[in-house]
Amino acid sequence: MENNSLGKQIVVYTTLAFMLLCALFPLYWMLNTSFKSTGEIYRLTPTFWPEAFSWDAYAKLLNEKGFMINIRNSLVVSLTVSLFSIAVSMLAAYAISKLKFRGRSLISKGILYAYLMPRAVLFIPLYMLVSAIGISNSIYGLMLIYPTITIPYATWMLISYFKSIPVEIEEAAMIDGCSRARTLRSIIFPLAAPGLAATFIFAFTLCWSEYLYALVIVTKTADKTITLGLSEMIVGDVFAWGPLMGGSIIASIPVIIMYLFTSKYMVSGMTVGGVK
Amino acid sequence: MKTKLDNKLAYLLMSPVLIYLLAVMVLPFGWALYLSFTDKVVGMPARFTGLTNYIELMRDSIFWKAVWNTIVFTGVAVFFKTVFGMIMALVLNEKIVCRNLFRVLLFLPWTIPTIVSVFTWQWIYSDVGGVLNHILLQLKLIGQPMGWLAQPDLAMISVILVNVWRGIPFMGIAILAGLQTISRDMYEAAMLDGAGAIKRFWFITLPSVKEVAILAGVMTTIWTLNDFEIIWLLTRGGPSNATQVLSTLSYTIGFLNMSLGKAIAIAILTMPPLIMLINYVTKRSLSRE
Repeated sequence: MENNSLGKQIVVYTTLAFMLLCALFPLYWMLNTSFKSTGEIYRLTPTFWPEAFSWDAYAKLLNEKGFMINIRNSLVVSLTVSLFSIAVSMLAAYAISKLKFRGRSLISKGILYAYLMPRAVLFIPLYMLVSAIGISNSIYGLMLIYPTITIPYATWMLISYFKSIPVEIEEAAMIDGCSRARTLRSIIFPLAAPGLAATFIFAFTLCWSEYLYALVIVTKTADKTITLGLSEMIVGDVFAWGPLMGGSIIASIPVIIMYLFTSKYMVSGMTVGGVK
Repeated sequence: MKTKLDNKLAYLLMSPVLIYLLAVMVLPFGWALYLSFTDKVVGMPARFTGLTNYIELMRDSIFWKAVWNTIVFTGVAVFFKTVFGMIMALVLNEKIVCRNLFRVLLFLPWTIPTIVSVFTWQWIYSDVGGVLNHILLQLKLIGQPMGWLAQPDLAMISVILVNVWRGIPFMGIAILAGLQTISRDMYEAAMLDGAGAIKRFWFITLPSVKEVAILAGVMTTIWTLNDFEIIWLLTRGGPSNATQVLSTLSYTIGFLNMSLGKAIAIAILTMPPLIMLINYVTKRSLSRE
């Protein structure tokens, strides 16, 4: 566009500055609070920069056994569920994207339905399933039901990755005498590796951030995940803002790092392939 | 090789996913559907009661209040997310310095766990040491500290604000993807014809991103309609049900009052509009292939 006039530039950069302020201030405030001493936090006039940097909030979190257990539980559940989901989803996604079979459109529609079905509708049926099996109140319950979030999502994302791999590559390999299993193992999956990695990361962050299912299923302290651990730092009306903000930072760091590595894949995946 | 059907192989490869989804999603949902016609209470066997749960809900003024609140919450939040998402996309589509850095930064609110954003905002809203009251008092925009989450009408605005803050980046990036498909030639041709900035936006930009924006908007609507965490953690549906939406009401009835049957009935009642929205997304996404 030619008319990059000064007036337009001013409008664009002012809007950008305002949006950055709105988007980042709460995040800054979380970080800022986590480094304040308790006395400074509860002062009537908030300070916009910690007077003296204090690691008290973090020290308190790391010394408290409970929070470390929460982190470990979240790691175990998120890793197990994401690995399992990717493993089964990539097979299904391959079939849906590359094979011709009866009922294909019905099944891809079903997967999309499962992806979009909200947790607020499913949480009671899933709670009842888990308690009927007798693994409620433990991370095994979460391991059983979190794939309802990650499998439809991963399958849907991987379908579009596999579709982007040209059929010709596969056909060439098979003409050269590769069996289908070998084609899959040495051509398709390696080519889809970046997609598999990105999908794994998003599946991990979905589990890591999950709250509602954990809330209804786990009540035993030893099995609580990080989101439950955070919400339990609030006792009645007493908010320990220092540790709560420190804990929030700790909970955010893994997902932010993972996001930075894969940001370019994120949106096309989330918008179910409709946006590319 | 291309015309032959691979039925056996396909279903073999899909079997883990299909079996899992049938066993853990479809069957429990069907069972829950049945339980919504019973008086199921936690720890007690269910007794068939027909439409009792549904009739009781229809007569319950809190249910209708939750329906209305859900509509207001969703409608207002989706509207603002779309408008600000559009602005974000338009700005990021300009030639600006460090565009990728700004894109990543503006996307951050959407990446952090919902529960983290909720606690951060709760602290910002706090009436003791909260920074929002402090800033607004300094700017002389308010005369006295406000109870952002304590006053019924303000509480709704406060929960919507958090949802909008989190949701703008998704709309923004989706619309941006649409904007980047518009060719510069079209704008240049329009400019030669003497079309001003507003006309160009209205006749070129909007039609080009319409489809992407509607798809992303419908997905956002599905998520917003069922938002539980933001409202539950900020207000528990209060004060005096001012922010009670269907998801929080369903949780309250199911897990605090232990009436699972009735709680499921609420979830079932949200299904018809939900199915319409999901149908729309599936039709649009699948037809693009």
